Amino acid sequence: MNQIINISTPQLLLALLFILVAQASSFIFHLGLNRDITIGTLRTFSQLFLMGYVLTFILKTSSPWLTLGVFMVMVVSAMFIIKGRVKEKQIAYIIPTFLTMFISYLATALFVSGLVIGITPWWEPRYFIPAGGMVIGNSMSALAISLERLFRDMRQQKEVIEMKLSLGANYREASNDIFRNAVTAGMIPSINAMMGVGLVFIPGMMSGQILAGTDPLIAIRYQIVVMLMLVGSTAVSSVVVMLIVRRRCFGSGEEVLLSPR
Amino acid sequence: MLDIRNISFTYEESMPLVFERLDLTVAEGEFILVKGPSGSGKSTLLRLICRLNQLTGGTIFFQGSDITSFAPAMLRSSISYVAQIPQMIDSSVEENLLLPFSFAINAEKSPPGKDELREMLKNFYLGDVTLDHSAMKLSTGQKQRLAIMRALLQKPRLLLLDEPTSALDQESASMVFSIMERLSVEQRKTLITVTHSNYKPETVRPLTYTVANRSLQRCS
Repeated sequence: MNQIINISTPQLLLALLFILVAQASSFIFHLGLNRDITIGTLRTFSQLFLMGYVLTFILKTSSPWLTLGVFMVMVVSAMFIIKGRVKEKQIAYIIPTFLTMFISYLATALFVSGLVIGITPWWEPRYFIPAGGMVIGNSMSALAISLERLFRDMRQQKEVIEMKLSLGANYREASNDIFRNAVTAGMIPSINAMMGVGLVFIPGMMSGQILAGTDPLIAIRYQIVVMLMLVGSTAVSSVVVMLIVRRRCFGSGEEVLLSPR
Repeated sequence: MLDIRNISFTYEESMPLVFERLDLTVAEGEFILVKGPSGSGKSTLLRLICRLNQLTGGTIFFQGSDITSFAPAMLRSSISYVAQIPQMIDSSVEENLLLPFSFAINAEKSPPGKDELREMLKNFYLGDVTLDHSAMKLSTGQKQRLAIMRALLQKPRLLLLDEPTSALDQESASMVFSIMERLSVEQRKTLITVTHSNYKPETVRPLTYTVANRSLQRCS
């Protein structure tokens, strides 16, 4: 049971049949996805192989600075992905978002690896990097959704916000509904995942552990920690980023800075 | 009450100035009418007074103090601005009228009771509208009157009306004009109204200005 079966290169290439099926579907039904599927496949291979070699190196050297360096690269990459999705030019949201992501993810990863799992040293890359990766990946999507929603609603409801401001509301009172909706929109996928886990799907990390021969009862404990960690870190980062970015949508006179597109 | 001194404004640095060295003094109880063609900056002037846009240069004093020295919410509960297109929250007429009292700045003001609101509705030609009526289902003219009434409920010192009749038919426009004149004559409210219509007041003689050459010119 504990024997891990290696996947040879020919076996790995055999999995490309799935891509051929996807390409054929796109071609036959004119979905226009052939280019994206090709680029996605190449990136999957190159990025994961690179990650594999980097992780092998980090696990061998076991340096806290190297671990934190990889963590930093992951956060910066996530920030670039968010920047690509959230097309906002007027409001400077990138630096506060990046700092909030870095601090809250670091705190979460430290808490989970150091206290909940109780690894020594706390930065042990075998635990710290996967934990950080899951937090970053999950919260990145949540933040992108929340930021998109915040900017869109602030623009669409500018007249209503200004009506409230004109009646004596401060900027928080005038935009509370929009703030709440933005945070909620980002958090719903994480909460839904808690509802469906174990019933509708088996999460990737737990599947991986089971495939690698871990006792399922240990794997589920890890998965529970991960699910709770994801909801908590998503909530904290979304709330903090939305609070900061919302303030930046208003000027010194609490006037709405966003103009219609 | 209001002293606008040497103000200038542009939306962006690269764009031409909308106002340049504009001055205006408004005394307590005055009714100011600002006229001018669409796009001349009339609405912007009102938005600058209540800080919905920020000055590029110059200073606006309200009751002797620079408007930037007030907390924005405090300033806007004293200078109430009613936009050209009236905005309502998706709720009843009553909820809309009491909206200002849900904000911290008005926490110490006592909200009017239902009887008082009904009486006011009549005075604003809205006697057929019930308090539990959905505000979103009112006509634009009714919403405009409701918006003016709502702005007055927090008892502002200065009322700014931005093209209050531009989206209204003749009958609704007459009602709004009549309300404005009554506010000026009966309540001595200080009003600044911008309009591009040929409104000729019947019961008051407002001080009329036109926007020209990025400034204001007094009409005789």
